[in-house]
Amino acid sequence: MILVTGATGFLGQWVVRRLLERTTSPIRCLVRPGTNPPALRALAAQWPGRVLELHPAALPAPGQALDSALDGVRVVVHVAAGKQGSAPALVASTVVGSEALFQAALRAQLDRFVLVGSVGVHDTASLPRGATVDEDTPLERHPERRDPYTFSKHRQETLARAYARDRGLPLVVVRPGVIIGPTAEILVTRVGLQMFGLLLHLGGANRMPFTYVANCADALVLAATRPSLGADTFNIIDDDPPTSRQIVRAYRARVRPVPSIPLPRIALTPIARLNEWANRRSQGQVPIVFSRYDARTIWKKLVYSNRRAKSVLGWTPEVPMGEALDRTFESLAERQRDKGRFA
Amino acid sequence: MRIAVVGCGQIADAHIQEARKIDGVEVVAVCDANLHMAEQAALRLAVPASYTDLERMLSEHKPDIVHITTPPATHLSIGRLAIAAGAHVYVEKPLTLELRETDELLEWALRHRRLVCVGHNHAFDAPALRARELFRSGLIGEVVHVEAMMGYDLTGAFGGAIMGDANHWVHGLPGGLPHNNISHPLSLVVPFLGEDAPSVTAVGRRLRPQRFGDRRDDWFDEIRVLLHAGGASAAITFSCRVRPVQMALAVYGTRQHVLASLESRTLRTVAPATAPGPFRRLQLARRDAVEARREFRGRVRDFLHARLQFFEGMNELMRQFYAATRGEGPEPIPASEARRVSWLIDEIFERCRAAEGAP
Repeated sequence: MILVTGATGFLGQWVVRRLLERTTSPIRCLVRPGTNPPALRALAAQWPGRVLELHPAALPAPGQALDSALDGVRVVVHVAAGKQGSAPALVASTVVGSEALFQAALRAQLDRFVLVGSVGVHDTASLPRGATVDEDTPLERHPERRDPYTFSKHRQETLARAYARDRGLPLVVVRPGVIIGPTAEILVTRVGLQMFGLLLHLGGANRMPFTYVANCADALVLAATRPSLGADTFNIIDDDPPTSRQIVRAYRARVRPVPSIPLPRIALTPIARLNEWANRRSQGQVPIVFSRYDARTIWKKLVYSNRRAKSVLGWTPEVPMGEALDRTFESLAERQRDKGRFA
Repeated sequence: MRIAVVGCGQIADAHIQEARKIDGVEVVAVCDANLHMAEQAALRLAVPASYTDLERMLSEHKPDIVHITTPPATHLSIGRLAIAAGAHVYVEKPLTLELRETDELLEWALRHRRLVCVGHNHAFDAPALRARELFRSGLIGEVVHVEAMMGYDLTGAFGGAIMGDANHWVHGLPGGLPHNNISHPLSLVVPFLGEDAPSVTAVGRRLRPQRFGDRRDDWFDEIRVLLHAGGASAAITFSCRVRPVQMALAVYGTRQHVLASLESRTLRTVAPATAPGPFRRLQLARRDAVEARREFRGRVRDFLHARLQFFEGMNELMRQFYAATRGEGPEPIPASEARRVSWLIDEIFERCRAAEGAP
């Protein structure tokens, strides 16, 4: 039995689908109490011969509720995490919620605990431009300077590693890059910042560490099921990543002509310094839109490696980047058309 | 002054940041029952110490003031411990779960000669302070009627987090989400109502889709309250439907009216017209335009002087409370007013429940 948390989310639904397609294992999905998600119901109807259980429990759940969720489970794929909100809210959902699951996993004596991390947790500020980021790149030394999501994912992974090191949690960490796919926003922070109806394009010619949702789900299924896999970590980035500039051009051509102001790399640090000064001077009245540290970590030319996932997991991105982008842009264009119709 | 914060959820950030803007204040420690919550606050906000053991924090740091930003069900017990350790306490709203607990906390503070301040911070936003100043100066005359409106967005940053979690402590309050918020509009109207205990009429409705099948569906999302005290009345509306979300105050007096928006930080007075016949309309419209221009210019000046802070009222309330603890000013919210709001909250939800099902 494989337990999937966050099974109703964007990535979680694909993980369940791929588990159904690529394994024969019974599957249990942790879902919020009182919900009966249509997407999971549809999957169950599509695979009538398979065990697909919905187990109601919200993280952090009491130990007893999680013990019952883990009854008979050998592998956990922990996808659930807070995506938006303040740092305290994300720590409460992602870190505090995960710890309850780590403890229950130890009690259940699992074979494997697959944690969905984030490729954003690396210490890229210390790397020179053009450097390669892989699983050996150290973790961020100043997570408190990063955005709330990265901060919470960093603390979640650090905690999971402590449980693995000190208490024997059979941990495999899978760190996806930016997950794209139908309905996913593609003008992410690494591309630029949207404000006042404009896109401040900050990514320039940097290659975007994208992974298509189905490819990422494939990697997670491999991490959950590949025999004789020890404690390991895999960064999941698809091949042939596009540049930020290509994404903006395609978005403007295919989704909507968002006005875009490209900021050259050389301007990032002075503007960030000005923003930080205004924030200090106004005692927080002017928010920090981006900091010098952001400029050194997010909008830097780096190469993200997927070699380890390919060599150890045997993972290959099945959907090529061109097709992944086509599907993503098509869904975004459809959504834009819907907005126009309703307006 | 040495400040400690107990409870490291979302609002704790604001308490720490606003406290640090006050001269001579040092945030010495944070505490939370959960280690990760305490650590994240200390790390992000550069607070030198974090604890999960409140008594240890109190004995090691001996704070002058403890800010309590935990769920309301814990305010009384944490407040008692902090006061017993010699600290004054600034407590997030609602002060406690019910009047009985409020009385116990206030009596405990009185016995230990410490002060309690409840976080009715919107009552210290500039427009609310200006409205009270106009009342005290006699320009409004006698208060005939006061209105306060509070909108709440269930899909906003706080609302979304609450609605996404059936285990959120807000759903466990006797009145659910409005119980956590109605003290804001109440704190705006109560200073205008005199000392007599008001009569209370209240009706609650559930107008949002009932889609969870758990306690997230239980509480009222629209509450209308009518208070009568002496010759004055007050109407309060709490609504999760109204857009744009705002907090507004209107005071109707025997000499002038005051209309204040806490969202735009503006205030407008309405004085009797003196022009004859149809020119009255022109005179009133011109006054509106003049006041609107004055307010706009004032807010531009405020922006340029960094006075349009999101938690401006919290900062002002803290300043006044800290001064009161040093004996340098009166309590910004007297115990009698904190007690009255607590009593009103109990009354409102009791009446809403009693009226449920009535046409």
